[in-house]
Amino acid sequence: MEYVYSILILVGIYVVLASSFNLIIGTAGLVSIAHPIFFALGAYTSGLLAIHFGLNPIAGTLAGAAVAGVFSLMISLPSLRVSGDYLLITSIGFQLGLLQVIKNLELTGSQGGLSNIPTPIAGPERGWIFSLVALAAGAATVLLIRWIVRGPYGRAISAMRDDELAFVALGRDATRIKIVIFAVGSALAGIAGGIYAFYFQYLSPEQFEILASGTMLTMVVVGGMGSTWGPVVGAVLLLALPQAITFLRLPLSYMAPLQGMIFTLLVILFLFLRPQGLVAPEAPAPLRHKKQ
Amino acid sequence: MFDPAVLAQILWTGLATSSYMVLFTIAFSLVLKVMKLWNFAQAGMMAIAFYAMYAAVNRFAWPTAAAVVFGLAVTLAATLAFEIWGLRTLRARRSSSLLFFIFTLVCSEFAAYVLTLVFGTEPVTLFPEILSPVRVIGQIAVSDWDLLGVGVTLALGIALALYLRFSRDGQFVLAVSDNAELAELYGIDAKRVYLVAFSIATVFVCAGMYLYGSRTAVIPTAPLQLMLFAVIATLLGGMGSVLGGALAAVGLSLLQSYSVLFIPSQWQGLILYVFLFVTILFFPGGVRRGFKAA
Repeated sequence: MEYVYSILILVGIYVVLASSFNLIIGTAGLVSIAHPIFFALGAYTSGLLAIHFGLNPIAGTLAGAAVAGVFSLMISLPSLRVSGDYLLITSIGFQLGLLQVIKNLELTGSQGGLSNIPTPIAGPERGWIFSLVALAAGAATVLLIRWIVRGPYGRAISAMRDDELAFVALGRDATRIKIVIFAVGSALAGIAGGIYAFYFQYLSPEQFEILASGTMLTMVVVGGMGSTWGPVVGAVLLLALPQAITFLRLPLSYMAPLQGMIFTLLVILFLFLRPQGLVAPEAPAPLRHKKQ
Repeated sequence: MFDPAVLAQILWTGLATSSYMVLFTIAFSLVLKVMKLWNFAQAGMMAIAFYAMYAAVNRFAWPTAAAVVFGLAVTLAATLAFEIWGLRTLRARRSSSLLFFIFTLVCSEFAAYVLTLVFGTEPVTLFPEILSPVRVIGQIAVSDWDLLGVGVTLALGIALALYLRFSRDGQFVLAVSDNAELAELYGIDAKRVYLVAFSIATVFVCAGMYLYGSRTAVIPTAPLQLMLFAVIATLLGGMGSVLGGALAAVGLSLLQSYSVLFIPSQWQGLILYVFLFVTILFFPGGVRRGFKAA
């Protein structure tokens, strides 16, 4: 049963990650792939606060989200100056540079990773309580993003994505939108990091490398970039599919690369056969005019 | 610490070590210059090149020359398939740069997973013996590997410069890199030029992986890190300049080598990312152009 709970927890966490990543990359069109580093910042912050100060998980997770939100400025500020490919490469540099710091600091456990993160719940109920928390966080994230995207702010985000020059010419503030989108998306990733840290109790810098960016991109692309429900479908599908081959009982050395191959093959197939993903983006909600 | 002999030794070792980095950077910046493509699939090409040569040497017991030809053939086949069945389709659909990025990155990851499945995650070198004979010239230790690295890099770099400058095909490559649509109006087949550019890049990638793999152990995901160095050097050198990229690769390698004198070795990698960040923010067109503009 613990195995099923851990899958459910991962589904919840990855729904948060894929949906918040989609908000940045799909809805706002800001080409950054550094999302795993905000996941890492949330996880390490909440883990460290719990280890050294005994902070409770809710406060720790919120602190992790705040740190991730603040660090997002290091990507959102460059995005005011560069865009497209340049922003993408800046984000790679930011992600790998910060990981280099995490790998070398004794405080974060260096290369060996951060272990002994205290768990707030022990006993048989631990699995289902964490599943409930992770799935609730996933659902809340989707609803929050749906609310943002379908409202007037969402229309402004889409307008900025489609034609930033015209958007600015109309007197709208693209700078503020970029900063807010990055902060919201990154803080959500930080929350996912907090849940991950308190459940798995161990963090390794390797799990936040560029391959993690590929995993999150896969979920967004396969699910449907720019759609609210697409990343949810992508996350569930891509976490469920590799589980199917676990029943083949192959050695671990075969299992991990096979799962990776399934992941990457799916993305390649989707890029060519169904580039819009499984769930196509919704048409923008019509403007509601007040009755006179 | 600042003994001239030590500084000279670091200079030579840094130059020799930069050889494969220069080759990777030339491959990356040539594809970017000609096709306007940030080819993150180069990491996959590098991994395929290494493991094809590794299999030829260690599993089929082929001689080195045959292994290199085999590595070149396998990598070329994979690269041309990637261009013909992948990139052409995306180009025909006028896909966004994000989709190109995803496709190239995912191809690299796919190659890494396949190679992990076949060869495992144990670090391996091309040859069982990685130490090469050393002679002392002046007060500097110079190994056979150093001479091979510098020699191969210079030879391939000069050959590429002569090819681009004096051959008809080379001129076509330059024309397409300047303006592909205009070049096509003049009857140049841009698709063929793209294949030529990828073929040249494959030669540089194979040579680089031969040098790297004969001295350092490789795992299937290692080329991704190596390729990022090429990305940074390309940015620093200026995106339209293959020579600029190559010089930037030498400069970055020397900087990393000399940084041992000032900072602990584990922090050397961070220098690259700081450079990347600063370059993109302040010199997005390359350092030379950035200063000119200023």
